[in-house]
Amino acid sequence: MKLEKIIKDLNLRIISAGSDDIEIINGNIGDLLSEVMRTAKPDSVWITYQTHQNIIAVAEVVGIKAIIIPCGLHYSEDTAEKACEHGIYLLESDESAFAVSGKLYGLIS
Amino acid sequence: MQNDVEKLVEMLSKVFSNTKIKEIMTRPPIVVTQETKIKYVKDIMRIKGISGMPVIAPGFKLVGIISIEDIIRVFENGSFDDRVNKWMTPDPVYLKEDEMLLHFLQVNEDLKYGRYPVVNNDHKVVGVVTKLDILSWMFKKLGYIYVHDERREKALNKKYMSTITGELLDKEGVDFSYKIDYDSVEMIGAAATRLKKFLKEKKIQEDIIRKISIATYEAEANVVIHSSSTGNVYCWIKQDHIKVLIEDFGKGIEDLEQAMKEGFTTAPDNIKEKGFGAGMGLPNMKRFSDRMTIVSSIGKGVKVEILYYIKEK
Repeated sequence: MKLEKIIKDLNLRIISAGSDDIEIINGNIGDLLSEVMRTAKPDSVWITYQTHQNIIAVAEVVGIKAIIIPCGLHYSEDTAEKACEHGIYLLESDESAFAVSGKLYGLIS
Repeated sequence: MQNDVEKLVEMLSKVFSNTKIKEIMTRPPIVVTQETKIKYVKDIMRIKGISGMPVIAPGFKLVGIISIEDIIRVFENGSFDDRVNKWMTPDPVYLKEDEMLLHFLQVNEDLKYGRYPVVNNDHKVVGVVTKLDILSWMFKKLGYIYVHDERREKALNKKYMSTITGELLDKEGVDFSYKIDYDSVEMIGAAATRLKKFLKEKKIQEDIIRKISIATYEAEANVVIHSSSTGNVYCWIKQDHIKVLIEDFGKGIEDLEQAMKEGFTTAPDNIKEKGFGAGMGLPNMKRFSDRMTIVSSIGKGVKVEILYYIKEK
């Protein structure tokens, strides 16, 4: 599934963008960083409430391509900066994590 | 230097005086009853290669000791069909299992016997301790202390002896190094992401890079959150393996076994709020490595060494 289509279908706001034409094959939800590193697959989308800049490093080491924050919440500025630096997509949604993950699952699987 | 020697002596004497007899003794003991015929005793000694045995009454109660000297006396003056009670030394000197090694040394100073039966609180024979037991135990201990010391020396001299493969790694000639000199959790991942970039440039396989990055991230997080000191990340790329060493000079890990358990954490709440401190750091490092060792002691920091095998594609 193309990330572009996910962004469009889920009506996500792009806070920071990476390279074009990204293929997403999996997803993960979690706020415990170690748990995410343990369970997330490469080329994933990650839904989390964490907004500090460490999520970029986690995404980077695991191979997560895009992060979604649900419920109309926002990332901190330095997180966005760091995301740009590493080419990780930061996305915001007004919907709940439950709704976002449900739609994502429907799209990807 | 003088100070180091004094420290070593202090450490050694602690090791020796705090060791209980039961940690050194041979167990279970080889014993005979009073009714056993001397000819069988002789056979047991020959087959087992021992020169004496405690003699017991029912219930493993210590009643005597029989040694090769007694057998010689039988040979000169008795019959091999005689029974043990006729030739044994009754009421022998014994040690208690909870007594300290120092006590043995004092007893042995005066008596110079070759072996001592060891009994528990119920006066049951639970072991035998000989000078050979003490000697081999000491060699083992000293050997360990020596190796440990040697290893530290190597580390100080910019060399690191691998705890996995035993090879000597040169920190000067390292392929990648990065200093963890930040104490803000926001910076965690700086070392791991730089190492990842470096490995990509070196065209290492993607799946290995991913494992190294995750394990390094976890180790880096531990240095920043727990060590209260700075640290270093080193990486050596060899023909068939990649080795990463993450070291800090901080307070060390008190109980490694506990720290390795999933879910165990000592992270404070303000760190946990940020998604750290799930108690998964060390387990994750192990999970995302082919081999891992941790060397740590209180106040001496932590050294995590992780190894990855490069398989032919």
